[in-house]
Amino acid sequence: MSWWNTWLAEPLSSEFMVRALIATVALSVAAPLAGVWIVSRRMVYLADAMSHSMLAGVAGAAILGGSLLVGGLVSALVLALAVSWLVTKARATEDGAIGVAGQALFALGIIGVSYQQDPRALSHVLFGNPLTVTWRDVAVDVVLASVVILGLVLAKPLLIATTFDPQHARTVGIRVGVVDVLLLTALAVIVVVGLVTVGVLMAITLTVAPAVAARMASDRLDIVLLVSAVLGLVAGIGGLFVSYHASLPTGPAVALAATLTVVGAYFFRRLRWGVGRAASRHTHSETMVRS
Amino acid sequence: MRGTALQANDLTVMYGSRCGVQGIDLTLSVGEGVALIGRNGAGKSSLLRALAGLEPGSSGSVLLRGQIPLSKSVAGGLAYVPQRAQARWDLPFSVIDVVLTGRYRTRRSFRWSSNDRRTAHDALYLVDASDLEHRSIGQISGGQAQRVLLARALVQEPEVMLLDEPFAGLDTAAVDRVAEVVESLMGRGIGVMCALHELDLARRLFPRAIALQDGRLLMDGSTNSVLSPRGIERIFTVSSATS
Repeated sequence: MSWWNTWLAEPLSSEFMVRALIATVALSVAAPLAGVWIVSRRMVYLADAMSHSMLAGVAGAAILGGSLLVGGLVSALVLALAVSWLVTKARATEDGAIGVAGQALFALGIIGVSYQQDPRALSHVLFGNPLTVTWRDVAVDVVLASVVILGLVLAKPLLIATTFDPQHARTVGIRVGVVDVLLLTALAVIVVVGLVTVGVLMAITLTVAPAVAARMASDRLDIVLLVSAVLGLVAGIGGLFVSYHASLPTGPAVALAATLTVVGAYFFRRLRWGVGRAASRHTHSETMVRS
Repeated sequence: MRGTALQANDLTVMYGSRCGVQGIDLTLSVGEGVALIGRNGAGKSSLLRALAGLEPGSSGSVLLRGQIPLSKSVAGGLAYVPQRAQARWDLPFSVIDVVLTGRYRTRRSFRWSSNDRRTAHDALYLVDASDLEHRSIGQISGGQAQRVLLARALVQEPEVMLLDEPFAGLDTAAVDRVAEVVESLMGRGIGVMCALHELDLARRLFPRAIALQDGRLLMDGSTNSVLSPRGIERIFTVSSATS
């Protein structure tokens, strides 16, 4: 039981770790569930640029004393409008427009954060800091994550239709653009939820990596969704505790743990493939002997 | 005399300054089968997409049962089956997930009803794909995928189906199975307009053919007359406008 005491019970004797754990659990379930759809719709680059660009809104809100959530959502909207303008009016390629607009907003965000008096503020916003999580943050994070999870569960048929064949989805009366906007809004909310624990940059890794790993492990949607949430929890909680014990920044520790789920999924897939091949070879040999 | 299921008047599709479809008038009767013939780029897909309401740059009118298909109840009478390559077959969805998406208009709640599921089972049975119901879409063949798309259209309970090259890239056995399904659709009173390149199949399946050239209607008549040697020469000769 000393292992339990050292690794889990001792950190949780500090109230800030309890708060950080609850906030991380909320994020770790919601983020990969959205990630399954982000990855399936090939929107990872846009999602990554959006997480960078949200720094501008978050920094602006902090300077003006406004809501970080609203600030983040505003900068996500600015990114979407800028990309749309660059693509339709300036004839830029979509990925080029995303790169330019995302980086510009990220740069604005860094300038904004540099106006903070605390020099550590930038690293806290980028990579998270569980010490800064308040009970109010925990309550907001749990509510927002629950709304995102519920929305994604209810919208599953819509997301299937628009991901599989957006053209056909339009013919059956689905507003594909609205679904895209709602999904990106959910992602923006997730980035804000992850702001205090893992930071704006690392929240996206927790969104994408468990979803990629789950997809490698299964080709059944419900299993992919379930496995992505479980892997998200493993990465989120594991990364949080490792960061505590090894004195590492929490965001990168969680991001690396999330990346390890992809490595694990690769070996799981290899193992399953090997077992499947051995079983089929065995069946083939038996058939040959019988004949 | 069968009634008119679909009617298009002066249908035009513009892509910027380029004209994809120009001033097409056509009708499709209830249960009628029409082959849409033409070279690549003749405007077949653009015409089908415009009829399905998918071309924002289109003008003219499309009437379904004599009405503009704006309301849900009218628009639901038309089902569009795009080319297979347009959909994403690499995703972790099952066949039944995909077929049910065709029921979106009739959905009453956030969950699929037992009636929706029954309709999807029936549609898969009609296209001879009941055994695929829980199969992952990444594990089915091209012919099976085409029948799944037809099932997705069938669950819309349409009066008109617009098929965009459903036989492209299929082997002979798969072509025959899809052709059987298309014949059964017309037998059930569904008007079918089908873009295809397989002329023998067009003669076998569809009594009427429409030929397009450079976005314009070149010929409209019985398939045998449109696909006569002289007709084929006209359809597949590069016009001076494009040469």
